[in-house]
Parts: sequence; structure tokens; C-alpha cells
Amino acid sequence: MNNVRSIASHDPLRGIRVAITGGTSGLGLALVREMASRGAHVAFVARNRERVANVAREHPATHGIVGDVSRKEEIHPIAMQILGRLGGLDVLVNNASSLGPTPLALLGDTECEEFELALATNVLGPFRLTKALLGALVASAREGRAAVVLNVSSDAAINAYPGWGAYGASKAALHHMSRIWLEELASEGVRFLSADPGDMDTPLHALAVPDADPTTLKRPAIAAAELADLIAAATAQRASADAPSAHATLAGDVTARIT
Amino acid sequence: MIAASEPRQRPLDARLLVVDRKGKIVHLVRTDLVDFLETSDLVIANDAATLPASLVGFHEATAARIEVRLAGRRSLARDDVTRFTAVVFGAGDFHTRTEDRPLPPRLAAGDRLVLGPLTATVEATLDHPRLVALRFAESPDAIWEGIARHGRPVQYAHVPAPLALWDVWTPIAAGPAAFEPPSAGFVLDWRNLAAMRARGIEFATITHAAGLSSTGDAELDARLPFDEPYAIPQTTAAAIRRAKRQHWRIVAIGTTVVRALEHAAIRHGSVRAGHAIATQRIGPRTRLRVVDAIVSGAHEPGSSHHELLRAFVDDRTLRRVTDALVAHGYRTHEFGDSVLIARRAVCAGRHCSNAHVDRATTLHV
Repeated sequence: MNNVRSIASHDPLRGIRVAITGGTSGLGLALVREMASRGAHVAFVARNRERVANVAREHPATHGIVGDVSRKEEIHPIAMQILGRLGGLDVLVNNASSLGPTPLALLGDTECEEFELALATNVLGPFRLTKALLGALVASAREGRAAVVLNVSSDAAINAYPGWGAYGASKAALHHMSRIWLEELASEGVRFLSADPGDMDTPLHALAVPDADPTTLKRPAIAAAELADLIAAATAQRASADAPSAHATLAGDVTARIT
Repeated sequence: MIAASEPRQRPLDARLLVVDRKGKIVHLVRTDLVDFLETSDLVIANDAATLPASLVGFHEATAARIEVRLAGRRSLARDDVTRFTAVVFGAGDFHTRTEDRPLPPRLAAGDRLVLGPLTATVEATLDHPRLVALRFAESPDAIWEGIARHGRPVQYAHVPAPLALWDVWTPIAAGPAAFEPPSAGFVLDWRNLAAMRARGIEFATITHAAGLSSTGDAELDARLPFDEPYAIPQTTAAAIRRAKRQHWRIVAIGTTVVRALEHAAIRHGSVRAGHAIATQRIGPRTRLRVVDAIVSGAHEPGSSHHELLRAFVDDRTLRRVTDALVAHGYRTHEFGDSVLIARRAVCAGRHCSNAHVDRATTLHV
């Protein structure tokens, strides 16, 4: 994947307008850093005002937005700030995730409210935010720019791991939703990617598997670089796709599994 | 006409009155729109998302409660959010008809208005007790956040339930630029956009900062529409050039699209890409250079939107439209029904030609 960067004399991410949810910790924070360092215009969303301010201070060119994607009434204010501050949108990364119950619980021991929170954060949040930003993404495609939505998935979306019920089921729904979005919007020029970044040394993973040996886990920065390359490849394909039929050939490549 | 009082964007069975090129009136439903369009149509909509432009707070000097409705901005540049023109109301909210809303306390240059997390200074009063030029004290990021979180959509008494942003964003909403929804766009959804594509009907967008539709103050309303910044993308300008060359029809979704495209054409003779501010009024004496048909709300005579329709058809036809809208119980205002009005064909003797064909030739000499 790294050859994308070395071959291109001009990084396709330069000047691209990117919004990243869950941008103050783990993979999201690494993505903010990676995208900003590659010249993208970045807006990131997270719940905690102080942490948003800290990350924005650390990366002065980025725009920090305080908001909770699991809450319906916060979606449009978030979308409005993304579009206002970036002047449009080329790439949306739905990264913010909820594990559901912590510590992880068997489904039989999972409270309905915990399952609902996982669905609200991992499925409804990305659905609502994507829907609110769809006009901007399609406008971007129409104007010959990139239009990519990357939904951060998990191998728990595919494999049935005991104890990962709320998380796995919600990520499975997100993954399937990505595939349907792609089918419905390929003709509008919007690409949907569903990518599994692998097991990473992040706060979310520490919550899920507190006794995991961090040295066996992937560094979020590595995963972020891989995801950024994946987005760069998708935007480059979009930029060179001048015939509508070119989008159709991309349709098969829904899941990019990165390990 | 009946005021549409439910904040539902054009339900599937919302009605659509069509005036064809011969002036004939046909009653359809919203979903028939695509069938009525022609394969040689270029449909252009305004993709402005709507700002929550109503900010409540108080006038610092008197502590009087006020509502500020942002109403104008100099450009669509993302950092150009410090200065706005605004209409200021006294105490009360949208449940009171704007006509009956009290004036704000007497405002003077230098007065500070505290609007939730934002503070605005009155830079100037604009020849009317309600109309001011405002300057926010905060950074652009903080202003965007303050408006997004504290602001509410501008709303009128005919819809009793408070509006949320999702009620006023059209399905294609992109750049947050409009002060009230470009509501003709409620007629669109992703299904009929796909149906248009399947039929070979082209679709393009502009972004136009649709302003307030009414203030309830006759003196101010006579000044509407205010100047409105707009942006025309390269791809849209190119699509219009292509369409004109091929004698396609240009169908505008909404009055704002007409205002932007015709303004661009006045400046350059044809539509060019770029940013500008529409300042002109469109009425019966306007010669339309670009747009051949308009999809609009069901507007009442006297409004600036209705004036604009007079550029498309003669007053006798418009009177027939109004009569038909009333007789058939069409609903007016943002969440009401729609009309599609095609420019009258030019007839000489028994032979009728399409007005836009004649115009297209003159445009490209």
C-alpha cells in the first residue's frame, strides 16, 4: 500500500477535505495526525471538549468539533460545522465506536441499553452523519473531486466471538450498510469502503481485552497510514474515473481487510 | 391558499401543478415530476444547506430579550462568518406571527447583543429599526460552533412545532449558506434523482445563500430579496454551456437558482463559474437569458417569489394558476405543494416555437 505514496509525485490526499469521527484517541487520533501530515484539510469530531481542544492545539491546521455521533440531535450541528469549516467534504471516516458493555459481556448478560448504545454509535450514528453529509459528498463527486466514505469495521463484524455480541452485531450491520450505500450511490460517484484495521493498541482495545500484551498489538499509527493509503487509492481512482461506468468496476471491492 | 403546517418535506403525494409551454394547467403529484421532465432537460438545484439562523439572547444595554435572524452575508467564504446583516425582533418567539412581534429595543451602533455563546456588536443600523449590520467577536471556528449549537431554524407561526435542522435541510443540502431553506428542493429525493439519471436528464447544482422569505414587516418585505452571495461550480457552468448548445431546456429548482443563473448571465452574457452576489430583482420586465422552466413552491400573489414567476408567464396565466391552486386546495409556504412553470412558447400565427431555442441562438453569437 505504501507504494501509492512513493509512486505519486503528488499525494492525492493533499488538499482533500476529510472529516474523522472519534478523532481524539486511538485510531481516530492517529488518522487525524496522518491525514493532516499528508496535507489534507481535517475536521475531527469527539465528545470531550477538553480533549478536542488539546488535539486542535497540537494540530493547529485542523478543526475540532465537539459532538456525540450517537445522539440524533447532535448530527446536524456536527455536519454543519464540518461543512462550514472545510467548505465542503470529500472524505468521511466513520471511526467513532462503542464496545457496548464494558467489560465485554455475553449476549445473555448484555443490557438492552448497552446494546442500544453500540447500535447508536456504530450503526445509526454513521447512517445519520453520512445521510446529513450526502449532499456535500455527491456535490464533490459531481465537481470531479473525491467522494469517499470509510467505515471502520472489525473482524468481529464477520466472525462470531463470544463476548463481542453488541459490538460484533453492530459492526456487522455497519459493514452491510456500507455495501448497500455503495450499490445505491456508485452511480452518483460516491465510494464506500469498509475496512478492518486489525487489533490495535488503543484505549478501546484495552477496555475490551485489558490483559492483552500491547507488544502483540498493531500501533494505531501504522493502521492509520494503511487506511490513509486506502483512501488515497480510492480518491485517485475517482479522480481518473471520467466515465460513469468506471465506478461500476469498483463495486466489487467493498471490504478492504487490512492486517 | 392553505398554509402547510406540518414540517414534512414534500410527501410522496404532495401535489404538483404544471403549466406547460402552451399555458395549459395539469394537476400531478410530486413523483410525476420526473415523467414531466424531458430527456433534453438540464435540471439545476440550489444545494445550500440551511443555517440555524435564529439566535435568541438579549440586548446588553437594556437586558431586553431579543431574537436575531441572520439574513445576509457578504460571501460564501468559509471564514467570512464574522459579519452578517440581521433582522432583530423583540421578545417572543415564532409562535407569534412576525407581523405581531414587538420591535427590539432601540438599537445603535456599538450595542452588544449576547446570543448564547456568541457576542455580536451592532456595526450599523440599516435605515430600519429591525435591520442591522452585526459583527461577531469570536473566531470563525467558534462562530460556526455557536450558530450550529445555539441557533434554531428560522420559523414562522404557520408551523406550530419547533423545526429541527433536519426538517429544513433538503436531501441534497451541502454548503451551509441559506438563511431559510431553498424549499423548492424538497421536491427532490435520491429516488427521483436516480430516475432522472436513468432517463438521461442531467442534474447540476449551484450554492445560493437563500435569504429570508418574509419578515412580517411590510417596509422590510418590500426590500426583499436582500443581496445573496452564490457560487456556480465549473461543472455546472460547463453543463449549462453544453445544454444551451444542444438547445436543451434549463429547469431551475427554485427561485434562488433563477436569481443566481440570471445574475451570472447579466454579468457575462452567459453563465460562468465562480462566486458573485445576486443583487437584482426578477419580475415581469425581466428578460430571462438562461432558465426555461421553474419548479417552485405555491406562492401567494404579492410575494417576491410570485413576482419572479411573472418573468416566466403572463399575468393572465399566473392568475389562472392562483385560481387553480386555491380551487384545488394546494398548500403554500416551505412545506407546501409545488408548481412547475415552463416559459410560454413564442407563437407566430399557427406556428409555435420554443422560446429557449431562439434565445439560445442569440446567446451564442
